[in-house]
Amino acid sequence: MIRDAVTLLDIPEGEKAEVVNLAGGYGFMRRLQEMGLIPGQIVKVIRNSAMGPVEISVMGTHLAIGRGIAAKIIVKRLGKHFYER
Amino acid sequence: MKDKKEFVVALAGNANVGKSVIFNQLTGGNQIIGNWPGKTVEKAEGFIEQEGIRIRVVDLPGIYSLSTYSEEEIVSREFIAKEKPDLVINVVDAVNLERNLFFTLQLIELETPLVIALNQYDILENKGLEINEKKLSELLGVPVVKTVAVHNKGLTELFETVKTALLEGKKKISNLRYGKEVESRISELAKLITKKTKTVYPPRFVAIKLLENDPLIKKEITDKEILEKAEKFRQELKEIHGEEAETVIISERYAIASRIAESVIRRKSTFRKSIGDWFDNIALNKIWGYVFFILVTIGIFYAVFEFGSFFSDLLSTWLESFKPIFMKMPLSPFWNKILWDGVMEGVIAGIGIVLPYIAPFYLILAFLEDSGYLARIAFLTDNLMHKLGLHGKAFMPLIEGFGCNVPAVLGTRIMERDRDRFIAAILATLVPCSARTVIILGLVAAFLGPVYALLIYILDFILILIVGRILNKFMKGTPSGLIMEMPRYRKPVMKIILKQTWIRLKEFVYFAFPIIIIANVVMEIFSIFNWIKPAADFLKPVMTNFLGLPPLAGITFIFGILRKELTLVMLSTLYHTTNFAKVLTPRQIFIFGFVTMIYIPCVATIAALKREFGWKRATAVTIGEFVGAIVLGGILNQILKLFMP
Repeated sequence: MIRDAVTLLDIPEGEKAEVVNLAGGYGFMRRLQEMGLIPGQIVKVIRNSAMGPVEISVMGTHLAIGRGIAAKIIVKRLGKHFYER
Repeated sequence: MKDKKEFVVALAGNANVGKSVIFNQLTGGNQIIGNWPGKTVEKAEGFIEQEGIRIRVVDLPGIYSLSTYSEEEIVSREFIAKEKPDLVINVVDAVNLERNLFFTLQLIELETPLVIALNQYDILENKGLEINEKKLSELLGVPVVKTVAVHNKGLTELFETVKTALLEGKKKISNLRYGKEVESRISELAKLITKKTKTVYPPRFVAIKLLENDPLIKKEITDKEILEKAEKFRQELKEIHGEEAETVIISERYAIASRIAESVIRRKSTFRKSIGDWFDNIALNKIWGYVFFILVTIGIFYAVFEFGSFFSDLLSTWLESFKPIFMKMPLSPFWNKILWDGVMEGVIAGIGIVLPYIAPFYLILAFLEDSGYLARIAFLTDNLMHKLGLHGKAFMPLIEGFGCNVPAVLGTRIMERDRDRFIAAILATLVPCSARTVIILGLVAAFLGPVYALLIYILDFILILIVGRILNKFMKGTPSGLIMEMPRYRKPVMKIILKQTWIRLKEFVYFAFPIIIIANVVMEIFSIFNWIKPAADFLKPVMTNFLGLPPLAGITFIFGILRKELTLVMLSTLYHTTNFAKVLTPRQIFIFGFVTMIYIPCVATIAALKREFGWKRATAVTIGEFVGAIVLGGILNQILKLFMP
């Protein structure tokens, strides 16, 4: 396990994270991968409050992900000021 | 022109990229469209006939991949893979090229003849970007046409390109390749497949899908050697990359998509933060989002009511003024009664009570659908929906239920699992459709005041919550989660909104109107022969003693099974007035509204339920809701006796 691996739920609004692994059933996890959540992909958390789903920006689109599923997305926290390349 | 040939062309692509808009523009079709993923759940067909060729155009539900899970996506996959259209128009969202190309690449793997429509190109330009479509076309080996479907731009060119591609009919084999480890295994497996078995799919496609562990393809391949080899390769890939083989392939496919996208997209000017992002800070805010949502809902309610009641009064009075003319007609009393009390009263009720409410309602619904706000409601209600054993996506068919329950029941196909679908469908039948809105606004709000109408809506929503909780408890399985693409906000295009409204109104005018008039005439004949009273007496114990309603109301409930509007229309014909305050007490108006709201939707909905879930479950829902409505109506009557005369 990577040292600072957490789930998508742990990433505060406005921060970026790198997808490490999807820890769930075949169908759903595959769907997420096909929507761009592949290992190594950088995502930005747009909204994350206990009231509703997590909203992330990935490959230019916004995805809403239910909290139950977000809890199964293992990510690496990159912080607010991470820039790709 | 020589022999006339028919071609089949399918529209395919990710959800919410504008396939149905293109379909409507190309074929003049009437597909319901809107800015949220999952509207089209069934394939629709239209025809283009031009210069001696006939093209059957098929609009398919949105799909992210050729490996699919939810029911509406299987429709698309089966059609593309098995029915082999002559050509697929792959509608691609220009703003999300990388994501969309992921699907395009799979179509290329399937060796489907393709034309790409690079749609919503205007939005890309607004973002200060441009795409070199010539280069994209070269890289993919597929013709590419820029389009802005909502404004009918680029569609003539698209059609010409499609026509040329169809007539030339040449097939291009792509040279897009995966990384060495993956590619060598694909080609070895493909060779074995060619040698040992025959499939409807190209061998290379089958090889890739087997390495991806695709359950549907695995079912079709019976040869043991192939399956064993695929499994061996999967293990090897896992060892090399430290990830499951399917993850490796998906990642590599995305890498190809991303490489292509990067090399064709160019920045023209600087990026502006869109108004949509700013607006979402309110619309999706954990407090203001709900406040805004409630304000919007109440706003819609009052707008529809004010508009509706104003025009309802105006039109009813005007139409009633024709009565003397009809009465003077030289007809026997029998025919006079049939003509005025049967036909005309039906027309008056249809135009005077129903139309003024549903027209503005449909207009607002189309506006909501087109703007992209619906998906925000799904976002806000996700947690609430979880308590009902569903997730936020279920909210979209439910909202559609406000228009009509039939598409709402079909729309539940966007739910991934059968259990979720069934719960969502039952809840959808409890959503007050436009017909019921007419009754609540035209009867309860008009004669008791809007607050009472709101109260009925609130009671109904509470009922939906309770039923959802109960179903969730008694039906096996845990709820699945929400994964939904948030559509961009879009400035609704007036022409499209008006068309959408007209499509729905047409349904009412052509389909419901005749039913209303015929039912009214039948009722009039019953009344002329004095058959109403025995029927009413039969219903009396339940109607009067338990629900506190006049026995005649029971008859309207029976007709209401055909169309819900009929309950109110019949009430007006039975009492020969549209001023219901004269014939019903306030309590009766309230109970009448409440019971109509929840007892089974109508025949069309029952048929939709039967089609989707079988007659057993459809019957269970029908009986359950009927009994539930009577029991709850009776209880409500006892409670209301304390407050209302």
